[in-house]
Amino acid sequence: MSDFRITPQITLKTALQGCTRLVSRTITLEALPEGHVLHVLGKPGEPLSMARLEGLSDGTPHAVRAAGPGQWFIVGDRAKTHSELADLFAAIQPEAFGVDQSAGRIRIRASGPMVERMLAKGTAADLSLSHFPIGYATTTLIGHIGAHVTRVGADAFEIMVLRGFAQSLWDDLARMSGEFFED
Amino acid sequence: MTPYRLPAGGLIDRRSPLAITFDGKPLTGFAGDSLASALLANGRLLVGRSFKYHRPRGILTAGAAEPNALMTIGEGGRTEANSRATMQELYAGLEARSQSRWPSLAFDIGALNGLLSPFLGAGFYYKTFMWPAPLWEKLYEPFIRKAAGLGTASDVADPDVYEKCWAHCDLLVIGAGPAGLAAALTAGRAGARVILVDEHAAAGGTLLSETARIGGRSAPDAVAQTMAELDALANVTILLRTTAFGWYDGNVFGAVERVQKHVRLPAAARPVERLWRIVAKKALLATGAEERPLVFGGNDIPGVMMAGAMRTYLNRYGVAPGRQVAIFTTNDSGYALAADLEAHGLTPVAIIDSREDAAPPYTGKARIVTGAVVSDAQGGKALSSITVLRNGQAETVKVDALAMAGGFSPIIHLACHRGGKPQWSDMQSAFLAPGDLVGLDLAGAVATTAGIAACLDEGARKAAALLDEMSINATPASFGAVEGDIVSAPARPLWTVPGVKGKAFVDFQNDVHRGDLDLAVQEGYGHVELAKRYTTNGMATDQGKLSNVNAIGLLAEARGLSPADVGTTTFRPFYTPVSFGALAGAHHGRDFQPVRRSPLHDWARRLGATFVETGLWYRSSFFPRAGETTWRESVDREVLNVRAHAGLCDVSMLGKIEICGRDAAEFLNRVYSNAFLKLPVGKARYGLMLREDGMIYDDGTTSRLSENHYVMTTTTAYAAGVMNHLEFCAQVLWPGLDVRLASSTDQWAQMAIAGPKARLILQAIVDEDLSNDAFPFLAAREVSLFGGALHGRLFRISFSGELAYELAVPAGYGESVAEVLMEAGAPHGIQPYGVEALGVLRIEKGHVTHNEINGTVTAADLGFGKMVSATKPDFIGKAMVGRPGLVDPERAQLVGVLPLDPKTSFRTGSHILARDAAATLENDQGYVTSSAYSPHVGSTIGLALVTRGAERHGEAVMIWNGIRNEFTPGRLCDPVFLDPGHEKLHV
Repeated sequence: MSDFRITPQITLKTALQGCTRLVSRTITLEALPEGHVLHVLGKPGEPLSMARLEGLSDGTPHAVRAAGPGQWFIVGDRAKTHSELADLFAAIQPEAFGVDQSAGRIRIRASGPMVERMLAKGTAADLSLSHFPIGYATTTLIGHIGAHVTRVGADAFEIMVLRGFAQSLWDDLARMSGEFFED
Repeated sequence: MTPYRLPAGGLIDRRSPLAITFDGKPLTGFAGDSLASALLANGRLLVGRSFKYHRPRGILTAGAAEPNALMTIGEGGRTEANSRATMQELYAGLEARSQSRWPSLAFDIGALNGLLSPFLGAGFYYKTFMWPAPLWEKLYEPFIRKAAGLGTASDVADPDVYEKCWAHCDLLVIGAGPAGLAAALTAGRAGARVILVDEHAAAGGTLLSETARIGGRSAPDAVAQTMAELDALANVTILLRTTAFGWYDGNVFGAVERVQKHVRLPAAARPVERLWRIVAKKALLATGAEERPLVFGGNDIPGVMMAGAMRTYLNRYGVAPGRQVAIFTTNDSGYALAADLEAHGLTPVAIIDSREDAAPPYTGKARIVTGAVVSDAQGGKALSSITVLRNGQAETVKVDALAMAGGFSPIIHLACHRGGKPQWSDMQSAFLAPGDLVGLDLAGAVATTAGIAACLDEGARKAAALLDEMSINATPASFGAVEGDIVSAPARPLWTVPGVKGKAFVDFQNDVHRGDLDLAVQEGYGHVELAKRYTTNGMATDQGKLSNVNAIGLLAEARGLSPADVGTTTFRPFYTPVSFGALAGAHHGRDFQPVRRSPLHDWARRLGATFVETGLWYRSSFFPRAGETTWRESVDREVLNVRAHAGLCDVSMLGKIEICGRDAAEFLNRVYSNAFLKLPVGKARYGLMLREDGMIYDDGTTSRLSENHYVMTTTTAYAAGVMNHLEFCAQVLWPGLDVRLASSTDQWAQMAIAGPKARLILQAIVDEDLSNDAFPFLAAREVSLFGGALHGRLFRISFSGELAYELAVPAGYGESVAEVLMEAGAPHGIQPYGVEALGVLRIEKGHVTHNEINGTVTAADLGFGKMVSATKPDFIGKAMVGRPGLVDPERAQLVGVLPLDPKTSFRTGSHILARDAAATLENDQGYVTSSAYSPHVGSTIGLALVTRGAERHGEAVMIWNGIRNEFTPGRLCDPVFLDPGHEKLHV
């Protein structure tokens, strides 16, 4: 082994660094902390119980989100350590496998009375509260960008996007919100 | 005489005058006017010139079907040609210009075409401009386009923004006339999610032009009250100024909302137009009916107008069409106009009714001439008289306005957009919507229902019935008694007006007259589709809204058939023109497509990288330094430095797929053509993926991180494709295998550290022993970094042929780790390198990419024959890989190419010829798939796919660039230009 070892101060750079929170009377856009996003891969046809999945979350409401048949995302604002992740993944085996997507998925919160109107400019999903209740999640396109959308409040959605597309999606959301920032 | 503004009446706001210009001349209208009503109110009868003969044209309708009053509105990038004056709301400062005229509308040189009209009938261009053929593009077409045509588009960029939007509802109601309003109110009160669209600025449809009273209120007041109630319902969305233009699969409707087309300077934050895609569980078409013109001579002279339009101008806009008005009708509807005119003190000069047995509910003073027709109208730029023909006796009547009431055609367009054919009804004398509609019903005049009361009732009932299908209980809304309702019986069609002497126009916009249709039939183009193309009837911006049914009737009479037998041309979206801006939405210019940024993007930018688009990714292409004047200098330096010292390249964009499950090994063994079942934990293996047809699909490495956990790397271009392919394999081909997949491409910042000093540099941050024994070639495992402060994945794999690693760290730490590596590598000469250098390094080693894996090559073609397992029971491609064509010894094979003279060069794409063969495609032996200048070889080098290439190393050939006519003598060689024993990989 080399004798030369360095222990520098490595730093995290967030994908939406510099994207300031956008707030109007009717729309708010904010980049959420790059905490943790765990991708749980269950066995198709043998779903894990929600109680078990929720037991793996940090208790944040709607932290467990459906991500397709037999798959879920578990999200939270606090970053998990390497050993915490290893423990979590061990806890769901052998029924499921866990993949760390904490750095690969970026979360944006869009909220306000006009949030459905704003998001309807991008997604074909029916976002009305009756069809898309609180806690419901789906994968959809917002404009040209694939995204995972979860309703976290009557007027609030969390949008999760691949890190590489995060800046473009933020720009799109800001543009889509433009008319709601007129006042 | 000319049209004029009545002293009172109408729904305009006379306290809000608006100044506009038409052809530069100032005019004044009022808020609530359309451009058409304002022009009429200012006495402007002549508003345009016709397409072909440049005949003077006036305003014919009051709605979307207008074929004549097409204007260019706006300036610069906001110029919009062919705007219908009938649909354009008036705003202060509106600038409208007439079209198809030069030098002026009143004096138009093009009108000379009218003198040549005997020679300009249907098919004239086809017959006349046949030869000499080259002149068609150079002379004839440009001339014809200049002489004919409509408005001219601006070549200045549009400064405004457009957007697209989705909407969902239980019931979509299209049309806010009586039937639509009743339907919306019924559904809205029932709590259903309702969307009501109407193309006009104000809801109400024909009710705004009506004099009838509904429930004791005027029709417009009834509309206002209904709209106020709808507006207050949270479950109802009202989209005015919105045209539903198409009906698509899944009960999706397209609509375009003109958000700010009625203002001079649009607010920047809002779109000028919004394209809606409306997903409706059920929809109700309440689009009304279009009044049909009558085809008599001179029916296009300014002053001739549809009777319903005349009612609209009178009642809604307070504009009288003239002072001596005649009405030519085939049904009772014309008498409603007569009553309205008289109510404004304008007794019609005559009502000419084609029916002998007419018994209209009319008590006015106008002279009624039954069993008569208007055979011709006279006048130039304004109507002066008409010829009334009755029992063979012609009478000239002096008039300045003439209304036509030829019956009604239901506006069924949307109902036919999904392939259904309109059905002719002899009883209704109209084409009706197809009978097998699913998810869509019709109410009101579009369903041939006549009269306000009946339309209100039907709209309410149909809405309730549609809601009932969705288990939503609704009570049909009621509106009270209707006084003064007009219930017209269907008109008997009058296709051929007798005694016509002048040009009798069928299609006003395309200058198609009755004689053109007769000619089409005579010359064998009588089929409705052929007649359309032969005469141009039903083309252009109005798509025959007024003309098609008359044309079909005339064709039917000429051919001795029923309109049912003639049929219609195909109805397709769009109902009315939709701007490219609305279709593009926000996705143009900077927002044309999203950008995908590597987690190392800003790191590379700080180091001065030049970026190149690869798909949606921006990759660092090369890193120029001070003093370097060409990209080649930079790339040569980077290449030399990697082989001499070390380089760091961002490879984050390579696809990464996590493959988990108890059967993951078996899954991979079936996906790849080479063996994967026994890949040890902690090792990577190069894999070759075939398509079912035996050709190579993609390549890459897959590493086994633990017993049931693999990570696959794919090429950047095929990352999504391979993921889809694997999902298909897992879900469809082998659902019995326990395998789960997840893309982790964006999770990792991945960097290649390549070069003889790579180990030294990496060891500075990696906690594990990286010696060759401890971490040999193709080792792959999770590693601890910085004393456990971070964990990453380390792969000892090499695309450059050097001692190399790929280190993946969580994306957020990518920049920081790259900076540390650059700092740690500085004493060892590390430099960043981009994809250009990466390309040179891989060509020097004969490594293939999708330049070579182009969908037509087999593993054997690339020298990977041994990677196609002969012992595995099955894998994708196995069944087809042995086809004779895929094992033909004459197939093109991967080979290296060098110029004989190192000072000469060649380009990728050049073809390989035998040394002395003629440069013909017959002699083509293959082509150069990749090429680059190699600073190590000292010349251009290339990879090529050449017939029997593998056995022709050393053979002199000619490298031929047929496009540039370049010939480079060259030599085929081993595709591995450096380190043929691959010893550097194992140091």
